[in-house]
Amino acid sequence: MKVDLTVNGSAMSADVEPRTLLVHLIRDDLDLTGTNVGCDTSSCGACTVHVNGESVKSCTMFAVQAQGLEITTIEGMAADDGTLHPMQEAFRQCHGLQCGYCTPGMVMAATSLLKQNPSPSEAEVREGLEGNLCRCTGYHNIVKSVMSAAGGA
Amino acid sequence: MTSVVGEMHDSGVGAALKRFDATDKVTGAAEYPADRIPADALWAKVVFTGQPHARLIALDTSDAEASPGVVAVLTAADVPVNEYGLTKNDQPVFIGTTQNDRTEVPSNISRWEADHLALVVAETAEQAEAGAALVKADWEQLEVLGDIDAALSSDTLIHPEDGLDSNRYHSFKIRKGDLAKGQAATTWVVEGTYELPYQEHAYLQPEAGLAYYDSDRRLTVEVAGQWTHEDRVQLAHALDLPEDRLRVIYPSIGGAFGGREDISLQIVLALAAMRLAEKGDTRAVGSIWSREESIVGHHKRHRGRIEATLGADADGKITFVEADVVLDAGAYNYTSNKVLGNAHIGVAGCYEVPNARIDSSVVYTNATPGGAFRGFGGPQAAFVAETQMNKLAELSGLDPIELRRINTLKNGSEFITQTEMPEGVSLPQVIDRCAIEARMGEPMRLASQFSPVASLAPAADALKRGRGFACAFKNVGFSFGFPERCEAEIHLLGGEEDEYPTSAILFHAGAEVGQGAHQAFIQMAAEATGVGSENIEGVFSDTASSGDSGSASASRLTWMAGNSIQGAASEAEKQWREGARPAIGQFRFVPPPTEYLDPETGAGWPNFTYGYVAQAIEMTVDTETGHIVVDRVVSTHDVGKAINPVLVEGQIEGAVIQAHGYALSENLQSKDGFLLNPRFSGYLIPGIGDIPRKVESVIMEEADPLGPFGARGMAEMPMMTYAPALVAALHDATGVWFDTFPLTPSRVLAGLKRVTG
Repeated sequence: MKVDLTVNGSAMSADVEPRTLLVHLIRDDLDLTGTNVGCDTSSCGACTVHVNGESVKSCTMFAVQAQGLEITTIEGMAADDGTLHPMQEAFRQCHGLQCGYCTPGMVMAATSLLKQNPSPSEAEVREGLEGNLCRCTGYHNIVKSVMSAAGGA
Repeated sequence: MTSVVGEMHDSGVGAALKRFDATDKVTGAAEYPADRIPADALWAKVVFTGQPHARLIALDTSDAEASPGVVAVLTAADVPVNEYGLTKNDQPVFIGTTQNDRTEVPSNISRWEADHLALVVAETAEQAEAGAALVKADWEQLEVLGDIDAALSSDTLIHPEDGLDSNRYHSFKIRKGDLAKGQAATTWVVEGTYELPYQEHAYLQPEAGLAYYDSDRRLTVEVAGQWTHEDRVQLAHALDLPEDRLRVIYPSIGGAFGGREDISLQIVLALAAMRLAEKGDTRAVGSIWSREESIVGHHKRHRGRIEATLGADADGKITFVEADVVLDAGAYNYTSNKVLGNAHIGVAGCYEVPNARIDSSVVYTNATPGGAFRGFGGPQAAFVAETQMNKLAELSGLDPIELRRINTLKNGSEFITQTEMPEGVSLPQVIDRCAIEARMGEPMRLASQFSPVASLAPAADALKRGRGFACAFKNVGFSFGFPERCEAEIHLLGGEEDEYPTSAILFHAGAEVGQGAHQAFIQMAAEATGVGSENIEGVFSDTASSGDSGSASASRLTWMAGNSIQGAASEAEKQWREGARPAIGQFRFVPPPTEYLDPETGAGWPNFTYGYVAQAIEMTVDTETGHIVVDRVVSTHDVGKAINPVLVEGQIEGAVIQAHGYALSENLQSKDGFLLNPRFSGYLIPGIGDIPRKVESVIMEEADPLGPFGARGMAEMPMMTYAPALVAALHDATGVWFDTFPLTPSRVLAGLKRVTG
């Protein structure tokens, strides 16, 4: 099936099977490998992207459901000149990462969270990131990163 | 320590620099093994046997071979030497009906549900999967020995080729002092039988990799591992190739924690690339495991059972320890013999113990293999040793901190292995500092109330608070006589007229598994050479460009690599002074040799240094539902010298949360050789909503006399003490001891009901 969508601001189309998940379209057909796959059960959030501005686990959508929608992946967050998005910069500055595998999903989820709630409390940050697992950092510096990004926004 | 060559700068040891790899990780540019698989690669699917214990009667791959897109189905017949293993070659690469004379391990017995039966290679991942479903096998069922009790009570042997008469295949003893004399001097006796659970690593990146021939015709594997050169040793053995015809590269690694120390896809992918190249197909071969394949297909922290007795005199001074330690090795050894050694020397705790009898053993079963996981046998032992001490405090009425003060190992103490502790035992200071930071003598400050069900109000009457304490040591570096070593190479660059080098290149094989090792390497190289961090290029984790570093394990990498980097910098400086441009220094660091333990008495010098930790935990339990919330963790560490303090804090915070999961929620279930919950939906690692309300990292810097810049290993330490400190806190709150964990709500409730009726 043909699917037309906008990815990181560019119109794209791909020929996919009806069962193809959005994450596989992103990784395999569009070769945007910053979006990671960490589980098979929609538990980990490593594959989180933005669909029309809302954070979505891209393993929970079929590729064809993205027909006509705007997708933003981690590759679309920095400016064209390479300047990091404030959330990316905050994760870098505050050591909000170790192995980095959850990081793209965390950045996408956190950005979406701040869009809905620009000045969250620490408790609200924790609640907002409940769908994203990290096995390395213990989350402390992730919370710090999001709070820092909120303060600087 | 000042630089040996250049001018001073502030980007060396002790600087809280940002990681140089952080930008790639926040932009998605970092490439993990799955991201490296090229578009034209062939895809491989590992077929697990799904048989915990069965004899293969017939294997038919003809339908799979005929399946659309399938280009090869590899089986045991394709493997030159059908065996591998990190410490013992006891595992077939594939279970098969053919057996050549290159291995004594019977190929035709599946001993584990995740033994490999075949590798199906196809044009696409879907075609490989479809082909894999067509591999047919006939099995004769054998008795499944699903746990330690089954394995020890049956006549069936899992590895009869070992020539032993039991599935108990490796043991250690300690006979120290005079047990009867110790018992005679005893006032207080504590006894317990402890059941230790599995733990799954749950690194976020499932196993993946690719194999191909590089431009120098080396058979090359890119994968996430922990020790490039050891992977190459095992590849060379199974594929019967010289090591210089093989290459192992680690791209970005998505966590490891010990779980990547053993082979996953390395051998089968290289085998596929090799056999296909022989037929003229030189495409790369790639594979990605699902989460379920990852959890089923790699080893776990050992489960086990420890029976222990602790005696003390009227003053609380330890008089004797007795212990029987049994760990479930699962179907293959992996590192079980070494893990057992650590549990063995840890079970008496971090104390002066004049008299002891300890018997420790590992047992083959048909369950998932036990292996390396942050702490490496130490957490199981420390759970027992520290729970015993906390019970002794309750029984004797002595303060738990004071009890530790009078018994703790210190400089000059004789260790449980009847030799003196390596210099620099800072445990007394660590215990005191943790007690002060945790305000152990004062009443706990009020914590906010919670309800386990968000929509319900907290049941104030049901909430009880408690506080617990534990401390421990963990060895740094390989133990028991293993030939420990680490190599580094440094190139100092600059013009002939330059007094100091302007830039440098560091070559090192050490694995960056997420911990920040490469950042630490660069900072140590900056300190040692005087070249600023920003002017040092690292060439890492490739057997083609670096010597053997040893593994990213045993809290050893920063410690060992730092010593190798200091040596290489010193060699390069000599070359620089003599006018060489570039000035090249190579160095192989070898620490003081350790000893295997005497088989009868356990006497010996097993480790060249240790790290020290103490933790205090405050928690609240809802006695109506069994839910626990951890309010405060004070995790106190002597790190010797923090090479990069924020990375050290990150290691503490991360390990504390892994330990939190181990103690509270990670409940891996195994029955008759099958894992029952190999998914994140059923195996619950802590999410951000589950973690303690406050984690305080206390970093002490009491220099390790042998450490680079004084540094000590630290990455495993927070794992050691969390479970016993939490159990002590739960006891403080409820008066009930728990001799097993994780402390799931149902287990807590059952324990409380058992006591209160």
